[in-house]
Amino acid sequence: MSVELVWALITGAALFGVGIYGALSQTNLVMIMMGVELILAGALINLVAFWRYLHPDAMSGQMFVLIVMTVMALEMAVGFGVAIARFRSKGSVEMEEAAELKE
Amino acid sequence: MITGQSIFIGFFGVAAVWFGIVVFRTFSMVRSAIALLFSQTALGAMFLTMQAEFLGVLQIMMMATEMSIMAFFMVMFMMDPGGMGKMEMTHQKRLSLIVGLVSFVGAVAIAVFIDWGPVATTVADTAQQTKALGLELLGRSMLVFEMAGVTILTAMIAATSVAIQPLPLSAIKHKKDRV
Repeated sequence: MSVELVWALITGAALFGVGIYGALSQTNLVMIMMGVELILAGALINLVAFWRYLHPDAMSGQMFVLIVMTVMALEMAVGFGVAIARFRSKGSVEMEEAAELKE
Repeated sequence: MITGQSIFIGFFGVAAVWFGIVVFRTFSMVRSAIALLFSQTALGAMFLTMQAEFLGVLQIMMMATEMSIMAFFMVMFMMDPGGMGKMEMTHQKRLSLIVGLVSFVGAVAIAVFIDWGPVATTVADTAQQTKALGLELLGRSMLVFEMAGVTILTAMIAATSVAIQPLPLSAIKHKKDRV
């Protein structure tokens, strides 16, 4: 087995784990978005590693990377839109103060 | 076998994970955004090491812009963006740590114990890769590519419409009367 592939997959796993921790533990909306960014970064490195070491001739691997990058940008755009709306109405983007959204 | 490529992948991998951890360890939100930028840049450097030059450059450029915007929003929205007051902004820490660790261990087990089959040692040069990617995007995967474009447009409209301040009813009525 290739050392490079395993290294890349372990990096992806670590970024995924750190991202999960961040998304679950943070109370601020922008910090939660940072956690989600790290989760998606973990997916990105896996996609590039699979393309490079397993299927370098199939360019659909790189195409998927572009799609995940698009998802990252969309998450940021919509997340900041929601953050601005929330800040305007309540003066804070703390998620512990957003319990009324459940009701 | 340890090669130059594996050493660089390991180095940039450790850097990406370290800066990813720093994002949630620092009290300063601006430092968090910068740490995330370094983490994503290290990831871009990993792409370059793996000979995916186009994606590496794209990753570094995109994340530099994205994280600058994020740092800007951090300063706008946070009560203590510099982290001088050392405010605690976490909850359910133990549960989050356990879920994060379990995810990490599970993903590492999959990475290490699965036989991924034969590994490719060579890859096409950058120019050929970029040409093949262009042909892929405008050929077989065109529908997916177009869908991504339409989704970006939809998200831009949605984000703008959510973010703009709604006018009070009286102001709308006043505008209508003037027309």
